[in-house]
Amino acid sequence: MDIGRLWNYISRPEVVPRLFAVFLCLIMIIEFFVPTSYNEDQLYPKYPPQSQVFKSSLAPYDRGGEPLKTPADIKTQYPQFEPIRGRITAYLTPPAIWLSERTPYFGTTIVSTPGGILDEILYYTRGLDTILESLTLLISFMIFSWVYLHRD
Amino acid sequence: MFLNITSVAGKFYGYIPFGDIVLYVTEFSAISFVIALFFTLVVYFTKPEKQLESQIGGFDRLNYVSLEELKIRRLMAILCGICTAFAMLTGDLFNYALFLAVIGIANIGIVSAVKKEWVLNAAYYYGIIAMISTLPLFGGAALILAKTGTLSILELAGKHQDLLFQKMLYAAGMVGETGVAPFYAAKAEMFRAPGAPYILMIHLSSLLIVIRTAEILLTI
Repeated sequence: MDIGRLWNYISRPEVVPRLFAVFLCLIMIIEFFVPTSYNEDQLYPKYPPQSQVFKSSLAPYDRGGEPLKTPADIKTQYPQFEPIRGRITAYLTPPAIWLSERTPYFGTTIVSTPGGILDEILYYTRGLDTILESLTLLISFMIFSWVYLHRD
Repeated sequence: MFLNITSVAGKFYGYIPFGDIVLYVTEFSAISFVIALFFTLVVYFTKPEKQLESQIGGFDRLNYVSLEELKIRRLMAILCGICTAFAMLTGDLFNYALFLAVIGIANIGIVSAVKKEWVLNAAYYYGIIAMISTLPLFGGAALILAKTGTLSILELAGKHQDLLFQKMLYAAGMVGETGVAPFYAAKAEMFRAPGAPYILMIHLSSLLIVIRTAEILLTI
């Protein structure tokens, strides 16, 4: 077996994703059999699946509390950096309130997004993450639109 | 002091709290931050290079970057530089993974405006690896969260838990995103595009990300 042929094979760009996928498969197969444990004391606890359905129209994201009045009980890593935590959770705009009184699935509808639910974890305690997530989308749209507008 | 960590990164200088995501400044991260910002300024003020291609039996050809192409590439390079700079400071595993995702897509953006077939092909394959590697990256962060119950590097530094395989998965994500040795070919082809200071930003961000990931994985 000529090792030079192997080096030439992996030097082609179209081979690299294939190679990386195989490498990842190997690691994940090993990882599948490695025993691990689950810490019950989680930082962002979730309610059990389906436990809120039909009880609240904000189904998976109902964290209790009344927006801007009584704070919800939110667990965070550094409470000393978040003086008003729990107060903006599930803040709804008037159209969102109107809609949430009519459907039990408001928390998961796409309609809830523009001015709908303000989730505490996303917009207050971990706000920088949300900025970066939307930045990723924004950059990809910028690249796409430049390539589209300057096509030959 | 609840935010005081001892690590390979050196002396702890301070922190910048953004809610649960606490950026922290150590000797190591301060130096990397300044380097990344300095090269961002270099990219902003430098004009792109011109490449002269020698032809056999014909006229030599000058490859230059047009103004329209320059604008988008400079913007992407600056975004990439700023994200690299703040990835050096961040104190949260998930946030760091997101910074890596932004840097990866900005790297594609730097070369996407180049109208050369082989460069765009290489960028396409690099994009596929970057997409694949989000799985181990965010998966690794999720497994660390499940096992320890926290994502903050400052908290994880004091816990000393056995996270070997979770770290391996996280590192595999970084390897794909930055293109470490055997998966380097797609990125190496991207470097061949004309326009020097912007292309160098791809290289610099990968280098800083590799050493920063090593520092994080040694700290937690």
